[in-house]
Amino acid sequence: MHLTPVDYAILVLYFAFVIGIGWTLRKSVKSSGEFLTAGHSVPVWITSLAFLAANLGAQEVVGMCASGAKYGIMTSHFYWIGAVPAMLFVGVFMMPFYYGSKARSVPEYLKLRFDEKTRGLNAITFAVMTLFSSGISMYALAKMFNLVLGWNFNSSILLSAAIVLAYTYLGGLTSAIYNEVLQFFLIVLGFSPLAIISVARAGGWSGLQQRLAPNMTHAWHYLGHANENPMGVEAFGLVAGLGFVLSFGYWCTDFLVIQRAMAANSMSAARRTPLIAAFPKMIMPFIVILPGIAALALTKMGSGYTLPLKGAGYDYDQALTTLMAQFYPNGMLGVGLTALMASFMSGMAGNVTAFNTVFTYDIYQGYLHPHASDEHYLKVGRITTVAGVGLSIATAYLATQFNDIMDFLQLVFGFVNAPLFATFLLGMFWKRTTGHGAFSGLVAGTLGAAFTWMLTVAEGKGGTIANVHDFPSQMAQNFWIAIVAWSTCMLVTVVISLATRPHPETQLRGLVYGLTETPNEQGVSWYRRPVPLAIIVAVALVFLNLLFR
Amino acid sequence: MLDLRIPSGVFFALTGAILIVHSMILPGLRAPMTNANVNLYSGAVMLVFGALLLGLAARSRRA
Repeated sequence: MHLTPVDYAILVLYFAFVIGIGWTLRKSVKSSGEFLTAGHSVPVWITSLAFLAANLGAQEVVGMCASGAKYGIMTSHFYWIGAVPAMLFVGVFMMPFYYGSKARSVPEYLKLRFDEKTRGLNAITFAVMTLFSSGISMYALAKMFNLVLGWNFNSSILLSAAIVLAYTYLGGLTSAIYNEVLQFFLIVLGFSPLAIISVARAGGWSGLQQRLAPNMTHAWHYLGHANENPMGVEAFGLVAGLGFVLSFGYWCTDFLVIQRAMAANSMSAARRTPLIAAFPKMIMPFIVILPGIAALALTKMGSGYTLPLKGAGYDYDQALTTLMAQFYPNGMLGVGLTALMASFMSGMAGNVTAFNTVFTYDIYQGYLHPHASDEHYLKVGRITTVAGVGLSIATAYLATQFNDIMDFLQLVFGFVNAPLFATFLLGMFWKRTTGHGAFSGLVAGTLGAAFTWMLTVAEGKGGTIANVHDFPSQMAQNFWIAIVAWSTCMLVTVVISLATRPHPETQLRGLVYGLTETPNEQGVSWYRRPVPLAIIVAVALVFLNLLFR
Repeated sequence: MLDLRIPSGVFFALTGAILIVHSMILPGLRAPMTNANVNLYSGAVMLVFGALLLGLAARSRRA
């Protein structure tokens, strides 16, 4: 892939704008709240698109295109089953507790609802997770740019990290959120033409259906048995593992995304944030997955395009960049690469801004230096931003040395969110849940997940203690690990809660269902109310699933 | 607080303009596997999108 001055001009223009936005917003940052939580002042359309974009990292965009080529339209389950229902749930049912509790972070909510140890466990695991996620993503991007464009690995890492640092340091969370919206627009406008042209070249949707096996163009039809579909999963594992545990565990409890909704300027806006985000989320498969499916069809039809080979199979991870090289001339190629860079930056900025808030409020203020002035916490927030970027760079280099460790860590991160949703579900909707119950449940759920991995094997991985079950794919193994983690956490939390003393109801007001005032929506237009919005999304979701069944 | 529609609108209008001008300077430029003038069409969409954002920002300033 060869870039010309016009491609570089677009890349430089983009860098100038993201830093310019941070520079303009620096004047509005005068307190730690404005730096770390955006002062709860961001309009709903911005928080909604940022809610989506913070999750839209480069690995997501490249990975979903690769999955499209590998698994076909079944990959859409990661959006239509594995994201949208959870987004509706968090908006309608959970946001009143997050926003209404006045907590500044998800770990702080856990402190208010349960106790200090539950908050500490979540804060520390989340802080470590965000740093490693950010570093792994940075490593993947630099490696890809090195492979595709021949860019120097070190320069790619340092340049991208320096730009993210510049705008997050200057404008804090508001700057990260504003830039995420610009990045979202760029991702949509940068990749949509690729989806349109590549699918058209493969003969449209009917052309894809003719050229590919039927299980590549049906999302539900071949889910009766794991052997019938390329993902190697069956309907129950998919719906319970991905659609319920993993999806709700991420979208309903991960501070990285919840932070965007909590930055909204009112309770109503916070509730509508994930609901409005669900509309573009439903459409994303057409932009990021369809090109992958088209790449496989183009390879099979002998069009002149072929997916690069890796060993005996295809290197699916190169589907997106090789399609760009074939369908984008210089100019649009610059836009596509800038969009890829933007998706990386939105993911990294999301991690850094979530990390600095959790570290400053939940670890530093919580344990290391309570009762300091707000000015002090603002300074700590800024220093943590620099440290967060520095530590992300360190983990990126760690990934170059210990690739297997990184694979393992990614697996461990998968364990952490799965039980957490059981903790929140019980904590928000069952007032009898206790701090001891929540903490024990989280630990037991995570251990349950680890043991399931150590006792089962999929594609040669896992089974370090014994092999009591073989899964047809790693994906099936991950879904079942999540189901075990969630069920263990649920069971242990209930049992220990019943055996320990509950919190007095006076301490639970605003934190638990039944003890929290329902937001008053009298006289509010239907399109500003969460439930009608959620119903529209749900109907559209059913329609999409039926259309591609 | 900054109205995000203004910098976003300017960015996409400029990017769209760059692509359109580029497609005019090199009218025969095509990607290996398509005959479509991708720069011209994509540039036009970006220019319109940028103008739309700027129009919305201007309308809200007047209101």
